Amino acid sequence: MPKSMSVTREAIAGDEADEATAERVAAGQVKELVKQHVKEHVKAGRKVLPIVEGAALVAALAAPLLLQDYLTVFATRVIILALFALSFDLVWGYAGIMSFGQALFFGSAGYGVALLARDLDITNIFLVLPAGTLIGLTFALLLGGFLLLGRHPSSVIFVSLGTLTGSYAADRLARGWYYLGGQNGIPSIAPMTAGGYEFSEGPAFYYLVLGILVVVYLLCRFLVRSQFGLALAGLRENEQRIAFFGYKAQHLKAIIFAIGGAIAGLAGSLYAFHEGFVWPNMVGVVVSTQVVLYVLFGGSGTLIGAVIGTVIVEGVSFWLSDNYRDIWPIILGVLLLLVILFRPLGLISFVLGERERVGSFGAKVKEKQNAAP
Amino acid sequence: MANAFVAAFEILSFGAIIVLIVLGLGIIASMMGIFNFAQGEFVLLGAYITYLAYANGLPIWAGMIAAPFLVGALGFVLEALIIRRFYAAPIVAMLGTYALGLIIRESVRGLIGGFYLTVPEPIGGSIDIGTMHISAWRFTIIVITLLVMAGCYLLLSRTSFGLRMRATLENPSLARASGISTPLMYGATFAFGSALAGLAGALIVPVFSLYADLGIRFLIQGFVAVMVGGVGSFIGPVAGAGVIGTLSAALPWLMAPVVADVLVFVLAIAFIKLRPQGLIAGKGV
Repeated sequence: MPKSMSVTREAIAGDEADEATAERVAAGQVKELVKQHVKEHVKAGRKVLPIVEGAALVAALAAPLLLQDYLTVFATRVIILALFALSFDLVWGYAGIMSFGQALFFGSAGYGVALLARDLDITNIFLVLPAGTLIGLTFALLLGGFLLLGRHPSSVIFVSLGTLTGSYAADRLARGWYYLGGQNGIPSIAPMTAGGYEFSEGPAFYYLVLGILVVVYLLCRFLVRSQFGLALAGLRENEQRIAFFGYKAQHLKAIIFAIGGAIAGLAGSLYAFHEGFVWPNMVGVVVSTQVVLYVLFGGSGTLIGAVIGTVIVEGVSFWLSDNYRDIWPIILGVLLLLVILFRPLGLISFVLGERERVGSFGAKVKEKQNAAP
Repeated sequence: MANAFVAAFEILSFGAIIVLIVLGLGIIASMMGIFNFAQGEFVLLGAYITYLAYANGLPIWAGMIAAPFLVGALGFVLEALIIRRFYAAPIVAMLGTYALGLIIRESVRGLIGGFYLTVPEPIGGSIDIGTMHISAWRFTIIVITLLVMAGCYLLLSRTSFGLRMRATLENPSLARASGISTPLMYGATFAFGSALAGLAGALIVPVFSLYADLGIRFLIQGFVAVMVGGVGSFIGPVAGAGVIGTLSAALPWLMAPVVADVLVFVLAIAFIKLRPQGLIAGKGV
């Protein structure tokens, strides 16, 4: 008994004597553990996204070589819609602004370039695409500025219903306005031109659209990984806290909303020239909700999720619509409900971890520290 | 004079239809905080049930009486299975109910095809006042709307069921502590709102005929009406519906219908922006 007691006492005394050392050791160990933990997770997280993105890019580049001509035309449409989905994902997935009226910017740009082509004979790609982007940007600035800015921050419900109403009202306006072709829209738009070259449906148009998508994707990727993107993610998670940090939350929201509108406008002008016509649904609730479906399926808050969601939804509906035209929308509804209930982060969350979805800001610095010793 | 009277009747009649549709939407959106995108489809189901009764040789009245009960029962089941998971997240609720609505709408579209099916008015003919004729059925809708509105108000303000309902929706934890079964009350409220939508669908189908997109047409107008009226009470949305319905019906008499259509929405959104609490702010009935 006494022996063991003395041992204990000794141990305690030793502990007290070496307390500082022990603490340093322990702290060092913890630090090491944390480093390792971070390293593992960051590494585990960093692996997946570039692989998914690379695979998607390779598949997209190879598609026209493998597909028949009519499928290339279909694939072009899907790529344009993916660009559109990207715009919604930026607004909802990153900034947490529910835009139920994203088609307003998509469709108004489509109508805008259609009018340019019809009334002014302007089809030059270097004029119409910037014009479409500008139209989307302007409308988004106006609507977003009105809905989001103001003395009191607007409620989430108000913004989502406001955008929905805007889209619906634009649909009704397009249907009733004779100058815009009424119910029938504007048919047979002249093809887009670059110098003497005419972009008609096919591989050339496909690669043009794919190139634009890749550039916009990279820009968005840069944007969401920047300080601005970090602030946006903060807005989505806890708007009040971001406001307390001194960010002008409403201004950030209006800016990203406008950027989203610009991308939607770009997509809309491409869509108008690719399809060769525009019609009222393009600004309306149908297309607005369509893009919500793409992003929810794929996974909001990851840019690649929006693209993959578009490809899956459009691909499966193209594939099924021949044989199961009537029940396909019902299946789509059931799948959507299941995704919302059980996979709120979308299909991409099967392969992508939560850490990577949020983004690993500052990970590179930590890795360097690890690499140094 | 006669013309003005007809116009006034048209405006009143359309206003009553919007109020009827918003009653159920308002109870669910305003009191429960769920902006139910499937509400339009509940209206559609009510209309479809009435059509089924008529197509199978039953009296139309039978279908109209059955519709609210069947749709209400469906609402109760859906609340227990799905809607219950959404209370904490209003945006997810919108998306989830949108998916539900999509399923219901496309199922009905599969059943009726892309047709416009007509259901005759149970009370046909017109009421003659001097030289003026007004549709008897539209007049009946106005009367029923007033009765239902008064009934709902009395149910919520005067009965113990209404009191428990309001207690649950305003302060669930206190209501639970007081011995009220809050899950049951949530289910009952959702079922009640759904039943009102079913009734609305059943009553308006003779006026608008049955087609798959019948519900969507009113959904956005309904949401705007709820926001204009003010979220949080029962009478707020009803007042909003009155204003929106009257405006949508009255403005086309004054200007081009296209402009009027859009102007109503622009005015409504501008109004909500300037007065977020709506026409009638605060809790209460």
